[in-house]
Amino acid sequence: MGYAPSPDRSAPPVPVKILIAGGFGVGKTTTVGAISEIAPLTTEAEMTAASVGVDDPGARTGKTTTTVAMDFGCVTLDETLKLYLFGTPGQTRFGFMWDDLVRGALGALVVVDSGRLDDCYPVVDYFENAQIPFVIGVNAFDGVLLHQIDEVRWALAVKDSVPVVPFDARNRVSVRDTLLMVLDKALDRAMLLRRS
Amino acid sequence: MSSPPAREGPAGDAAGRVPPYLRAQLPAVAGQGPDRADAQGVRPFVLTAGRVSGDAADIGLETQVTVRPAGPGGPHVPVASLASELRAIVALCDKPVSVAEISARARLHLEVTKILVGDLWAAGYLDVHAEDLSEFPSPETILRVMHGLRAIS
Repeated sequence: MGYAPSPDRSAPPVPVKILIAGGFGVGKTTTVGAISEIAPLTTEAEMTAASVGVDDPGARTGKTTTTVAMDFGCVTLDETLKLYLFGTPGQTRFGFMWDDLVRGALGALVVVDSGRLDDCYPVVDYFENAQIPFVIGVNAFDGVLLHQIDEVRWALAVKDSVPVVPFDARNRVSVRDTLLMVLDKALDRAMLLRRS
Repeated sequence: MSSPPAREGPAGDAAGRVPPYLRAQLPAVAGQGPDRADAQGVRPFVLTAGRVSGDAADIGLETQVTVRPAGPGGPHVPVASLASELRAIVALCDKPVSVAEISARARLHLEVTKILVGDLWAAGYLDVHAEDLSEFPSPETILRVMHGLRAIS
């Protein structure tokens, strides 16, 4: 009779993560809170910031570290798999080097307030360069989109392959469906990597 | 009685002749300097004994941590004798918990948390279940995440 190891009850789940990125006050924490099984928690993290040529007279490659507050939550998908959602700040004057954060990430949802697109340019640039699968979610505040999706896509000048979709950060199903779009992009990338 | 008003002026007394950037150091007598024990809060590098990066480089935000069961690989010193921050971390790891959660619940800076978790792992108190984060997740894992998410309503 073969010995079948019973699942270890104390074995931790395999963690996976999706980043919820965007500028200040666009609804990142609301997005996390809409789907997380715990109330969003906050951790303070160091981030390396490279200043992007603002008032920089010398040729110094200005790299500094900044402490940022990061909100996060989680969803237990099954006994062996747990999804973490990390709300990551993006600030206009810094191009953050999120290498630590994006390591192993499935992808990212960039939350956008169509009234303040400037806030999300550094984030979009970063994910494009780092080849992180991402979707741009235009947060419809109070269920109202201030701009047409086409206008937002035009203003952000992202590739056609990047989905730009409206969503409601307060609505669990809306957030779930938007995350599923991120996972679709992640699946494309994983299949591509496997074939190569 | 009190000094004449003129002596309060910037050039009139000893403090006035000290450059502004050094003035803050003037009252640095015993018990008042940065080392005084009653300072509000402890600087992160005090908790980590001055180190800025830990031994366990593979610890990520989502890395799961658990208490190591008693046995040959366990700690030599009882948990009760640890510093309060370390005891708090061990107490949080009763069930599997992520490094980010430890940081938030113990109210410790994330980098500090990583270093302390690495220490507690090295000393035999905790198990760190580090994943290989250098590879992009497999299609199978992603499909499982999608399946799990679709079940949410």
